[in-house]
Amino acid sequence: MRAAVRAAWRIGTGAALRGRAGRPLSQAAGDGGGAEGGGGSGSREAVERLVREHPVVVFMKGSPAQPLCGFSNAVVQILRLHGVEDYRAHDVLQDPDLRQGIKNYSNWPTIPQVYLNGEFVGGCDILLQMHQNGDLVEELKKLGIRSALLDAEKDQEKK
Amino acid sequence: MRGPLLAAAGAAMGGTGGPLARTIRAKLTAALQPTHLEVRDDSPRHGGPPGAETHFGVLVVSGLFAGLSPLQRHRLVHEALRAELAGPLHALQVTARTPEQWQSDPQNPPAPPCLGGSKREKRRG
Repeated sequence: MRAAVRAAWRIGTGAALRGRAGRPLSQAAGDGGGAEGGGGSGSREAVERLVREHPVVVFMKGSPAQPLCGFSNAVVQILRLHGVEDYRAHDVLQDPDLRQGIKNYSNWPTIPQVYLNGEFVGGCDILLQMHQNGDLVEELKKLGIRSALLDAEKDQEKK
Repeated sequence: MRGPLLAAAGAAMGGTGGPLARTIRAKLTAALQPTHLEVRDDSPRHGGPPGAETHFGVLVVSGLFAGLSPLQRHRLVHEALRAELAGPLHALQVTARTPEQWQSDPQNPPAPPCLGGSKREKRRG
């Protein structure tokens, strides 16, 4: 590609939207962060930091106290059922760069997105499935989190 | 539940929903060769204008899902609808089953109720 065209790509918003997804991290670092959304909240590096912040990280619409989307609410409710109240939740409605960045990062087109131990697990449908088939209890156990449902079952058995 | 009734009515009238619904159905059929496919337009439940096609739920039963994790199955569905998801398709609920799973549990969970997300983020003049 000619240098002039390449330069235009880097300056224009086209570069931020098209070039970034799927490029190796070493290449992104080499660019110096100029046209990469200014290394902003939607950059791969920023998202990487967020998903590693805590064993349970959720990108949603609204907040756990006030979800603004039925699918996001479902994720919050499922986590609540398992007694998981301590987790990181990011409201993508507050940050358009993050909203697009998280979709690029996971190559997943919708919100909410659930990350366990820094790894993308899925959206609302998958979390619901994991809840129903017992996988979520197992995955939480791997993170050192004991699901409240285990205690609920124990109480029932005692009676 | 209105969704399946509308879909059935649409089928009876010779068309299953609006243009996006038909596109979704066609693309999923071509990509995944489903033995059973339901395409549900949830858009009316999300407060869009009449005829808006923005929120859909799909139930796809396909042998191609065998051996794939839920995440991998959903990614296949997303891949088939990549252009739509980059465009007008705002939300997509996915249920992906193998024919064996569907036979033993033929249930399609409904979408959770809307909590107004997109209405609150946009300001219309």
